[in-house]
Amino acid sequence: MRLLKGKARRRFLAAAGGWAAAALASSARAQMTRTPLNNMPDVIRKLVGSKTINKGKVKLDLPPLVENGHLVPLAVRVDHPMTETDHVKAIHIFTERNPLPEMITFRLGPRAGRASVATRVRLADTQNVTAIAELSDGSFWSDSAFLIVTLAACLEELPA
Amino acid sequence: MADTRIDVPKSAKRGEIIEIKTLVAHTMENGFRRTHLGAPIPRNIITTFACSYNGVEVFRAELHPSVSANPYIQFTTVATESGTLEFSWSGDNGFSARETVRISVV
Amino acid sequence: MDMIEMPKVSRRSFVIGSAAAGTGLAIGLKLPPFGPDVVRAQDGSPEVTHWVVIRPDDTVVIRIARSEMGQGTLTGLAQMVTEELECDWSKVTTEYPTPGESVKRKRAWGSYSTGGSRGIRESHEYVRKGGATARMMLVQAAADAWKVPAAECSAANSVITHTPSGRKVNYGKVAEAAARVTPPKDVPLKDPKDWKIIGKPVKRLDTLDKVTGKQVYGFDLKLPGMLNAAIMECPVFGGKVKSFDAAKVSGRKGVKKVLQVGDSAVAVVADTWWQAKTALDALPIVWDEGPNAKVSSASIAEINKAALDADQAFVGNDAGDAKGALAGAAKKIEAVYAYPFQNHAPMEPMNATAKYTADKCEVWVPTQDGEASFAATLAASGLPADKCEVYKIHLGGGFGRRGAFQDYVRQAVLIAKEMPGVPVKLLWSREEDMRQGRFHPVTQCKLVGGFDANNNLTGLHMRISGQSILAAVRPEAMIKGMDPATFQGLARSGEFEFGYQAIPNYLIDHAMRNPHVPPGFWRGVNINQNAIYIECFVDELAAAAGQDPLEFRRKLMAKNPKHLAVLNAVAERAGWGKPAPKGVFRGLAQMKAFNSFVAACAEVSVAGGNKVKVHRIVCATDPGYAVNPAQIERQIAGSFVYGLSALFDQECTVKNGRIVEENFNTYPSMKLAQMPKVESIVMPSGGFWGGVGEPTICVAAPAVLNAMAAAMGGKRFRSFPLKNHGITLV
Repeated sequence: MRLLKGKARRRFLAAAGGWAAAALASSARAQMTRTPLNNMPDVIRKLVGSKTINKGKVKLDLPPLVENGHLVPLAVRVDHPMTETDHVKAIHIFTERNPLPEMITFRLGPRAGRASVATRVRLADTQNVTAIAELSDGSFWSDSAFLIVTLAACLEELPA
Repeated sequence: MADTRIDVPKSAKRGEIIEIKTLVAHTMENGFRRTHLGAPIPRNIITTFACSYNGVEVFRAELHPSVSANPYIQFTTVATESGTLEFSWSGDNGFSARETVRISVV
Repeated sequence: MDMIEMPKVSRRSFVIGSAAAGTGLAIGLKLPPFGPDVVRAQDGSPEVTHWVVIRPDDTVVIRIARSEMGQGTLTGLAQMVTEELECDWSKVTTEYPTPGESVKRKRAWGSYSTGGSRGIRESHEYVRKGGATARMMLVQAAADAWKVPAAECSAANSVITHTPSGRKVNYGKVAEAAARVTPPKDVPLKDPKDWKIIGKPVKRLDTLDKVTGKQVYGFDLKLPGMLNAAIMECPVFGGKVKSFDAAKVSGRKGVKKVLQVGDSAVAVVADTWWQAKTALDALPIVWDEGPNAKVSSASIAEINKAALDADQAFVGNDAGDAKGALAGAAKKIEAVYAYPFQNHAPMEPMNATAKYTADKCEVWVPTQDGEASFAATLAASGLPADKCEVYKIHLGGGFGRRGAFQDYVRQAVLIAKEMPGVPVKLLWSREEDMRQGRFHPVTQCKLVGGFDANNNLTGLHMRISGQSILAAVRPEAMIKGMDPATFQGLARSGEFEFGYQAIPNYLIDHAMRNPHVPPGFWRGVNINQNAIYIECFVDELAAAAGQDPLEFRRKLMAKNPKHLAVLNAVAERAGWGKPAPKGVFRGLAQMKAFNSFVAACAEVSVAGGNKVKVHRIVCATDPGYAVNPAQIERQIAGSFVYGLSALFDQECTVKNGRIVEENFNTYPSMKLAQMPKVESIVMPSGGFWGGVGEPTICVAAPAVLNAMAAAMGGKRFRSFPLKNHGITLV
């Protein structure tokens, strides 16, 4: 299983619904995080197969900054009907730097009325979080949000 | 029985979309931590949450170690008829919790 | 279920709002007929890149994200922008863009975190590029107006000159046009040998206001309609509020509110702070002290002592087979050292001022990390980012208390939420500040050294026991349970690389024991005790081998030339090897920390067996590049005040689960008369960027201790502070 890196990763995430790029020199951005990337792109590929991940419909809300990442409020809303024949089946949330890419999956149906969920998550470090909505017609839609964990910035490049 | 807290309107109009908030006390030990002596602390998390409305499942969530301690889950459901909402949690080490709330739909 | 509360989460709680670029600073944003939007400061002056605003009179306003706390970073960063911008230094001012603006502009100014001696070394490249980009745009604008190639133009002192024709124009006149130039993609920086202002001992930009009293600290802040709050948190860490009898004080003059703050604190809000504080003092509070009410310094020490011989420990650095070498050694020596809890004790106690309404939460705070304060404000207020703001104030001392820890911000916002629309200044008393520190962790160290028959050091085992900072503060940074920060100055490689890698066999490990006292990053962090542990023991090893401490070190530092260079520099300047004045003895120490190499040679005399006079400390630092050598010298001297005060007179002890020392009578700082002469050798060797704020703190104490041992016929002190041994600094 190959980890996507660099430009390929950015393209992937852009397709997945948004890259909150900071307007910084790459050297500065590299200093913001030290936790390595996990195998999120592979896990997402396993979910969607060869289908396109569309931009739109999904709105992922996270605060832009948290102190330690232990208790991050997260909400997702999908702008799509919830009828018997056309509805959001599931919302999957992924992290790119926690040890495991999957965070939580919400299973919905027409009884939900609307696709609107919230929870609280742990995010180990400054990173992107991705929400992927799975519709009853088999299509996938996605949004990403970038979160800064300020305590991560507070530490040295620590010796291994 | 675990500590839980449920926030559901006591009554609603038929067809109204109601918001449900749930909270359960649980450490959600993620399995990646170690003691100060270096020993791994085994994973101990809630893995599943489900809500049934008069016996029909209307919502489910699959939780992984990234969910914060004392998992909070908020979702919506259509108030279809009066009756009982049943909330259930299950997880590692045989963890299980259940809570029921009555709702009146007019 | 008292430990968890239903969070007030709504989708609106954290919708950021439209991320229109640049709206944070602009008023009356004017769209030009063509070209990019121009972002303007409050007075209408244009931004030439987000780093620089240029006024018509050539005044330059440089945006600074990091925090000024007396360490000179504000000035150093401004020097670096100025160097590349080629503006008139006498017309430079600075401003702090707010964290809210930073979020709106996608973190355009980079990290706000000011700690770890990082302010300059982490941002130097992008701030210089910010200045260079703005200069290139200004030059391009002038060239466009003159219809000449930009390559024929040069810039210096806020003036652009077209070299062939001699035409000139000031920055102020082309700023408007420059703001519309597309920023260049390729931005080369000057070679350090061409620096004109970086490397110069220019006067700091913040000193004048501090001297004239114009500087408003968070402590001094006054806002219209403001109330004042005093607070007390359960002095036993981990304890909670059980009950309090508000009725006993709520009738007092000026008292507006008595309230619980979170689980563990009680506050009084009044017209004046004195009314709030005296009411709080009189308020009966019953604490549920929790499980740690019996912990004492003695009980912690007992645990740490036992851990010196524990089987399990985390290995931070090793080479060869230390245990084998020691088992087979012809001669062994052993010593046990201990270093206590310390408190940052900044001159300005913790404070934050907050004003909350359902539509806006604002916080004014001295902080080492504006973004962390902003994060704390978001969480405590429950409002979205576009409804919150933090205004940074220059700090009356940070030293590591005000970056990673934003407890006073959270408290201020929670109090302000109970009095919507009213600004509330929360100010901790000195006693509260001393009780609710984030303490330098307590540790002990057992060192064993082994020699062969020819007095060569063949093995060293350094076993550290005691508290991990990261286990409490940032467990995510632990490596399989190990806290790498414990090994600062002793590490395998990197910013804290060990200087004695020519020792053939060594083992440096840590048996972790975490007491309930909350740890934090005290200036220098773990290099403080690590430098004492290793540098004092190396002197003990030298004595056991009958060798001169400098010669002994030189052999062990054969693989660490830059460590050795600073050590040799201080030895030479101090006259090591040449006779010292009568009664004066010398001691050495060295370490690499925060990516800089530091060393010190102290000269002391001891009278009556217990009165120590430190005459002079010669200190050398190699930080790679030196942005402001005068400021570095001041940082060195200031760090010595901090480190030597701790060595001689400071510790935070624990009794009944709480910190005993509550003010400067029991936690005294050294006085002017006790201060030695400090001679600094700033020797930047280039090619890397090391920190300045912290590294030198660690070498003063061991250099003085080694000099004392020389003065006292080899008598060593291994637990601190020295006042506990009847030693006074005169």
